[in-house]
Amino acid sequence: MTDIKLDPIGLEIIFNGLRSVTDETYVALMKSAYSTNIKERHDHSTAIMDPNGRLVVQAVESLPIHIASMSGLMTSLLDKYGHDIREGDIFVANDPHVAGGTHLPDVNMAMPVFIDGELTAFMCNIAHHADIGGMSPGSMAGGMSEIYQEGLRIPVIKLFREGELQQDILDLLLLNVRVPLERRGDYFAQIAACRLGRRRLTEVVATHSLPVVRTAFDEIIRRTEERLRDAINEIPDGVYEFEDVMDGDGLATFDIPIRVRITVEGRRIQFDFAGTSKQVPGNINVTMNATQASVCYSLKALLDPELPSNQGVLDAAEILAEKGTMLNGAFPAPVAARAHTCQRIVDVVLGALAQALPDRVVAAANGANTTAVFAGVDPRSGDGYVYLETLGGGMGARPMKDGKDGVQVHITNTSNLPVEAIETEYPLLVEEYSLVPDSGGAGRYRGGAGLRRVVRPVDHDCSFNGVGERFRHQPWGLFGGKAGASGHFFLREATGKTRRLDDKPSDIVVTPKDAVIVETPGAGGYGAPHERDPEQLADDARSEKFSADYMSTNYHQGKTKRQRT
Amino acid sequence: MGWTIGVDVGGTFTDFYALNEDTGAMRVAKRPSTPDNPAHAILAGLDELAHQHDIDLAQVHRLSHGTTVGTNALIQRRGGRVALITTRGFRDLLEIGRQTRPHMYNLYKDYPPPLVPRQHRFELSERIMAEGQVLQPLTPPAIAAAVAAIRDTNADACAVCLLFAYINPEHERTVAQALRAACPDLNLSLSSEVQPEFREYERFSTTVLNAYMQPIMADYMAKLETSLSESLPAATFGINQSSGGLMSPDSARRFPVRTALSGPAAGAVGAVHVARSAERANVITLDMGGTSADVALIRDYRADVSFNREVASFPIRLPMVDIETVGAGGGSIAWFDRDGLLKVGPTSAGADPGPACYGRDGTDPTVTDANLVLGRLSPDGLLGGAMALNLGLAQRSFVPIASRLGFSVERTAHGVLGITVANMVRAIRTISVERGHDPRQFSLMPFGGAGPLHARDVAASLGIREILVPPAPGIVCAEGLIVSDLKEDFVVSHRTGIEDANLRQIREYATGLSTNAMRWFDAERIPPEGQNLELSLDMRYVGQNFELAVPIMSGAALTPDSIPDAIGLRKRFFDVHETAYGYHNPHDAVEIVNYRLTARGRLHRFEIKKHKPNGVSPQPIGARPVYFSPDASVESKVYERSSLSAGQMIEGPAIIEQLDTTTPVYPGDHASVDAVGNILISLSSES
Repeated sequence: MTDIKLDPIGLEIIFNGLRSVTDETYVALMKSAYSTNIKERHDHSTAIMDPNGRLVVQAVESLPIHIASMSGLMTSLLDKYGHDIREGDIFVANDPHVAGGTHLPDVNMAMPVFIDGELTAFMCNIAHHADIGGMSPGSMAGGMSEIYQEGLRIPVIKLFREGELQQDILDLLLLNVRVPLERRGDYFAQIAACRLGRRRLTEVVATHSLPVVRTAFDEIIRRTEERLRDAINEIPDGVYEFEDVMDGDGLATFDIPIRVRITVEGRRIQFDFAGTSKQVPGNINVTMNATQASVCYSLKALLDPELPSNQGVLDAAEILAEKGTMLNGAFPAPVAARAHTCQRIVDVVLGALAQALPDRVVAAANGANTTAVFAGVDPRSGDGYVYLETLGGGMGARPMKDGKDGVQVHITNTSNLPVEAIETEYPLLVEEYSLVPDSGGAGRYRGGAGLRRVVRPVDHDCSFNGVGERFRHQPWGLFGGKAGASGHFFLREATGKTRRLDDKPSDIVVTPKDAVIVETPGAGGYGAPHERDPEQLADDARSEKFSADYMSTNYHQGKTKRQRT
Repeated sequence: MGWTIGVDVGGTFTDFYALNEDTGAMRVAKRPSTPDNPAHAILAGLDELAHQHDIDLAQVHRLSHGTTVGTNALIQRRGGRVALITTRGFRDLLEIGRQTRPHMYNLYKDYPPPLVPRQHRFELSERIMAEGQVLQPLTPPAIAAAVAAIRDTNADACAVCLLFAYINPEHERTVAQALRAACPDLNLSLSSEVQPEFREYERFSTTVLNAYMQPIMADYMAKLETSLSESLPAATFGINQSSGGLMSPDSARRFPVRTALSGPAAGAVGAVHVARSAERANVITLDMGGTSADVALIRDYRADVSFNREVASFPIRLPMVDIETVGAGGGSIAWFDRDGLLKVGPTSAGADPGPACYGRDGTDPTVTDANLVLGRLSPDGLLGGAMALNLGLAQRSFVPIASRLGFSVERTAHGVLGITVANMVRAIRTISVERGHDPRQFSLMPFGGAGPLHARDVAASLGIREILVPPAPGIVCAEGLIVSDLKEDFVVSHRTGIEDANLRQIREYATGLSTNAMRWFDAERIPPEGQNLELSLDMRYVGQNFELAVPIMSGAALTPDSIPDAIGLRKRFFDVHETAYGYHNPHDAVEIVNYRLTARGRLHRFEIKKHKPNGVSPQPIGARPVYFSPDASVESKVYERSSLSAGQMIEGPAIIEQLDTTTPVYPGDHASVDAVGNILISLSSES
């Protein structure tokens, strides 16, 4: 191959063209998919990978958790099919243990792009299907102890061979999921996105020539890694440690430590998770790809939010996590609820780097992915329904301002479903959707408040399942900031009495006279409460987000200060 | 008849376009804007039209106005003190929004706090359910408590936002009545009136923005009417809406949020007008000014409309011309990102200090500087020489970047234009390719001061073969205002499955809207021959959460027969789905979510004067070297636009200059002037 040099102008123009390809496929996939997870909550990603399986460009709206599972898929794909990749093939996979996935509902697809007979790239996408089979509808519930229970495991296989749909394989995939017609729509949306991407990438290559585009692939990755290493270089050298504890694994309540030791040496950064819990029986285990994605999210957020997402980011972060621990789960660890743990990895990394980067870190956020699932039979139609929602909570207080109230944080940013949509589609009534009073941790800057949803079934009994994290261990504050409130599930009974449910309640029967109350965790404060600006204190009181009790206990207005250690 | 005047108030200039509908005579004027009271610039401009252009203001029968008063008040947070009444349990909804953050990786960026502080958001005991049934009735004590609370806030506007009010507005109306009685001066915005559609957060947000703009818009309308009624005694006034159509000042007072995109929407209407004059039904517009570029798509002489948009980071759900904005303008600054890649914009040198070549102490290299360095802009300056440009300063501004790249200043400047073009191309791909339209089947219409300078490179990147430069690219927005129709959009939300059993219901909902439209035609005194109705239905597959707007009929009257049967309706949906997503599923159930009826009252009726070729060849006024490629300049003839006439041809390389813009004609390209003064450039086959 000729040695091509690309200047920063030509490269920027090609990069722009490649970003257009991923963004266009991202929108196409979102619009044509069936799953609410994809359409409304945008739980999908699209990317261009190079022939060696390196991530070159990821659609700008892609979820952080997906950054590493694309490369995970490619590693397995190249291992298995290295010499049998043909024009028109489309690969599909989802398994976390053998195919680089992070949990089963995320279905990955890859389509090779040949130009002039030469393998040039892969167009990839990931989409969270609303169901992938397994023990419970939605394939996300807790209570399982091995991956087989979580749904259909798909190793890397060819769904298309040289343009030919493998109908028998598709039949097998669809037979194993609930509402197969809709899932068929999701598969075809993903296939269409692959093909669209192939067409668009071919156009970009036609404009700029193949050797130039190949050089651009290398250059983009190289420059991103350099850019990130430059930023790492600005972190003071040293060893930074932190530990946090999770509430339980979904099967039982017990303390589960996550520990990190970060070593910064010039342009190198290493994350050693030694001391973290062994993998747990419940489904909050994380595969290496998801751990890597969480670490990379943290680095980007702390150092350079506009950093392009590609292999350069993955290459700059060295990660040590022993196989068989919770952050590098071994077969047959269940992993469906890995998002809770990923959120905690971010908190732990931020906590450790607080010492090094006090002006950039934020206090612990709600640290969870609080999940509420209502299921039953709609009395109006006689059809079964499942309504799943993940709720945000408090965002950690920041070095220069309060944490945001009631919002998705870190590795997730999925939207809620409008109350008017919920009540139109499901036999449910939302009585309240609000911020939890007193849930933001006090501080010079206070933590964000958690969310509260009160839901009851209309004219029928429904069942409720929930997954909470930071329901026991509160989100911590930084530099004297106080911890935020933990979350809770409650059942308000017909008598008017309210009783607290388990943190991971399953199959709770709810009658039309009862109501489920979900309260998500708040977030920690930043800086000592006594340093809070009097004007902001007045605002806190005026806004009625905090009770008089809370204000006097935490800010000791007019009283002596009690220092928290 | 007499004169019609379009006035577009922009951030820097207020543009005037006056047209005599009897004689076809046309006059234009430009005044610096007066942001403190935009009416000042308007009066000054009218004065100029009267004294310098001999327009008898007593003969002006209509003034159409595009205004950014509401949007500016929002951006600068100078709107009203707003209070909110909402359903019990949902006080925080406005603050929670969709529980998302605006940037995935930025830990510090938030959506702006709500325009109503929490202590001014009040809950009302009442509840309506999904089908409009009342679960908890509204009681007099509850109303009285809410009214008292609002009165205590001293608010000057109140938004009333109740759940499911789009399907049953009774509770909102009852509360409004009580508020009106108790606080006669209070501005009121009801979610069931501002935008009666489902999805509460977007509806509430739109309603609150409306309330926020109400006091300032009421004030402005009063000032405008007072001052204009003296100078224009015979004129009626129309205010431009974001959907591209006029409303009365009274509607503007009630629904100021509809003016959020008033200016760009006027541009799209003006572009439609130009497209008609040139007989080009499918056009992509590129309106490039000092800080940003707006792109829009016109199909069959219609600007596409979209419904969801953020204005100043607040979501608005209203019909608005589908415009994509990109931070690429003449003042956009070139800079190196952390990975060493060169970027252009979105930071702009603005008007002050402006590009380096303005000589106002700006030192950052901008797009305008690049155009000057490359000889595309005249070293003699802009506005016919009234505004000098300093070539030396422009060249100097590029030296730091050029030396870091190891390039000549010209090559660097050429690269900066290339990046700017790539940014605009991406925006155009969003409104075309991503919506299922092939840009190669469109002409590109550049306007705004900087549009024509970059159109050629944009067209070539998209495979567009023809560029259409309007006669007066600097005032297409003002031109759009005088050709706008009076327009009102009606909407009603009802989920209806598309099957023959529901057909009667579907037709009832649609004709119900038509009854409202007829009432509106009467109120606005639109004669029958000027009336037009367009019905479109938002449809989706059952189980999906994405609706598509499916056009159903357009004509003078909507009767039950104008609505096809279930098979026909499904077929329309499938066609639109096919265009948007490239496939459809013929066996899946389809439902209607919203019914939309647009009523238009035609206000104008005139022809654009066509000129016959006079057989004279165009005469250049000079020549200068121009860089069309990075490394070598070509001596190019310079023409003055005002001297060109119908039928004349110009072969590139050439430069066509006029007061408000400059148009390069590339080597090998071929420009011609049509009978109404448009320049059409066909790209050479090699491009």
